[in-house]
Amino acid sequence: MKKHILAIDDEAEIRDLLAEVLTGKGYRVTTASSGAEALRIGKTEPLELIISDLQMEDADGLELIEQLLQLQPNVPTMLLTGVLFDHEVVRDNISKKVSCYIEKTVPLTKILSEIERLIGGP
Amino acid sequence: MKDKIILRVLTLFGVALAVLVFVALAAIRNINRATAGSDWVNHTHAVIMEADALQSAYHAGDGALRTFLLTGDPRDLAATREAFGEMSEHFEVVKALAKDEAAHAPKFARLQVLFTERMEFAREVIAAREKNDAGTVRRLLAASAGNEAAQEINRLIEKLQLAERELLTARDKASYLQAQTTRWTVFSGLIINFLLLGGAAWLIRDDIAARKRAAALLGEANATLEARVRERTAELVTSNAKLLAENQERKWGNQALEHQLRYNQLIINSITDLVVVLTKMANVSRVNPAVTQWTGWSAAELINQPLLRMVRLKPPDGDSGPATADPISLALRTGREIHEQPAVILAKDGREAAARLSMYPLRDRDKVVGAVVTIHILTNPV
Repeated sequence: MKKHILAIDDEAEIRDLLAEVLTGKGYRVTTASSGAEALRIGKTEPLELIISDLQMEDADGLELIEQLLQLQPNVPTMLLTGVLFDHEVVRDNISKKVSCYIEKTVPLTKILSEIERLIGGP
Repeated sequence: MKDKIILRVLTLFGVALAVLVFVALAAIRNINRATAGSDWVNHTHAVIMEADALQSAYHAGDGALRTFLLTGDPRDLAATREAFGEMSEHFEVVKALAKDEAAHAPKFARLQVLFTERMEFAREVIAAREKNDAGTVRRLLAASAGNEAAQEINRLIEKLQLAERELLTARDKASYLQAQTTRWTVFSGLIINFLLLGGAAWLIRDDIAARKRAAALLGEANATLEARVRERTAELVTSNAKLLAENQERKWGNQALEHQLRYNQLIINSITDLVVVLTKMANVSRVNPAVTQWTGWSAAELINQPLLRMVRLKPPDGDSGPATADPISLALRTGREIHEQPAVILAKDGREAAARLSMYPLRDRDKVVGAVVTIHILTNPV
């Protein structure tokens, strides 16, 4: 059974590219374009990893992750964002709420290795 | 090469077939001759046997006649007549059998004369004996050339038989030679055909071996080609996967860059203070929407123009001297910051407003390449 990853981002290009890359690696990927859609999926399908953008039209990524963790506790979470935070902010604040914080400016290979670190192979 | 071998094989088979046909024809001809020879031999034996029977019948008749002449017994007479009758029959038969042999014709003519004379003599002497005319009988016996005639008849018949036997011997020899010829013809034909077929088989075997070698080489070449194709396919698959990954990485990088630029632009555009980016020469290179909204100048009208077009600096607080643009140029040259310096902002339509100007050098790897000027408007335009 393939590991199930939920990828949440309001930008279609980001969602599609993440789905293409992760599916190519062997994971099962579901994408959501909004917080509401993500919560609907979180209620019905078991997840192995949640990847979320920070700034979306209808949700704050960190709050959304908290809500999803209430539905499926202990699921690893990754905040994938284009907003560049200060290292101290990441260390003192964000890292306490998510399993991994990663910026969209890093290469895909880095993102993939982080995913593998969090949940292993497909 | 292949065509030559096929041609040679076909030629050998053709020659073998021709030899076979020749041998068959020769054998058939010889068999026909042998059959004809056999018929002739039977015929010759028949002539000899009839001649023998003729001789016997003649002697029997002669003997019976003498006995009758002595005994006068009608039974002896009957035996005489029977014997001479058989003699005549046998003579006719042997004449008929030998009618095609011209060499015997004189013999048969002579025998005919002798038999006729003998038969005439027999009739006369029998008549005399039946009349019991012993005198006539004696006279006839004395006059007849009986023994000489009998000897001549024997001689003629023996000659006939000898001649036939000689012919038989000659024919036997000829038949033997023919049989030998047939035997040699068949054996030679068989040997030649075996050799020809052997040659064809050798050529075919050679060809088959050559084809097997070619097939083996082709198989090896195919295997090598398939291995290369597999190798190349694997290389292409790897290359494709690498290209795909590179492409995805490039797309991701572009997305991230575009997102960052867009985000930065959004941040700058949402600032209500006037934000102006200057070059090292203190010319405007970029403005935020607040600048165009307040001053009425378009971005195109401001870009590459000196900042003084829309800003007039006053001396810093507590300084009573005149304001100049020097602080900006100086700060750009030295890389110093300017904080909250009083200024007047000028609109396109002539409006003015008091403001506070701050400037921060833009550094690219420790080199000052320009500055960011923020202008906070203190009052509404007058």
